[in-house]
Amino acid sequence: MEAVLWYVFTGTRGGENRARILRALDERPRNANQLADDLDLDYKTVRHHLEVLGDNGIVENSGDDYGAVYFPTDRVRDHWDAVEEIVEHVE
Amino acid sequence: MTLWYDVARVAIAVNLLLLLGLGYVWAGNYRRFRSKHALGLLLFAVMLFLENAVALYLYMLDPVMSAWMADVPVAPQRLLTLLRVFEAVALAFIAWVTWD
Repeated sequence: MEAVLWYVFTGTRGGENRARILRALDERPRNANQLADDLDLDYKTVRHHLEVLGDNGIVENSGDDYGAVYFPTDRVRDHWDAVEEIVEHVE
Repeated sequence: MTLWYDVARVAIAVNLLLLLGLGYVWAGNYRRFRSKHALGLLLFAVMLFLENAVALYLYMLDPVMSAWMADVPVAPQRLLTLLRVFEAVALAFIAWVTWD
């Protein structure tokens, strides 16, 4: 899991925004629209990042199609120390 | 037989371009994340870039050594080229994943 985490965030072009998204979802669960507004990102960009984070087991959603709310998985919570170490310098 | 020699030269150029792209992304991530992981990826790209820069010198820039390389018999020439081509495939795949 930790190798996945550090690659998804520090290894890829979209890593910084994915880190901001995960941090926002840790504060409180949100849907894609709210994330786009709160982080000042394009809606489609947010959807893409959520898909990557979901594919890697980092976030999951409530299942409702449109307003689906996303939150960190239990698995990523178990590795939260690693997450903090990885994202600690991201503004 | 210069086909393998030509393929090797193309693969070296491709590797250098892919590594520039990877280095660009990973250097940017290192600036933002400041973590050992980002630094590791950046160093990986820098070292492979240097490796291919040396290959570029050997195959294309140095007049004496590039003539030797062009004259290598086909059996070892093919294997030398495969080293470059396998690296190009690996880098293309990691670049595709990284650009995400």
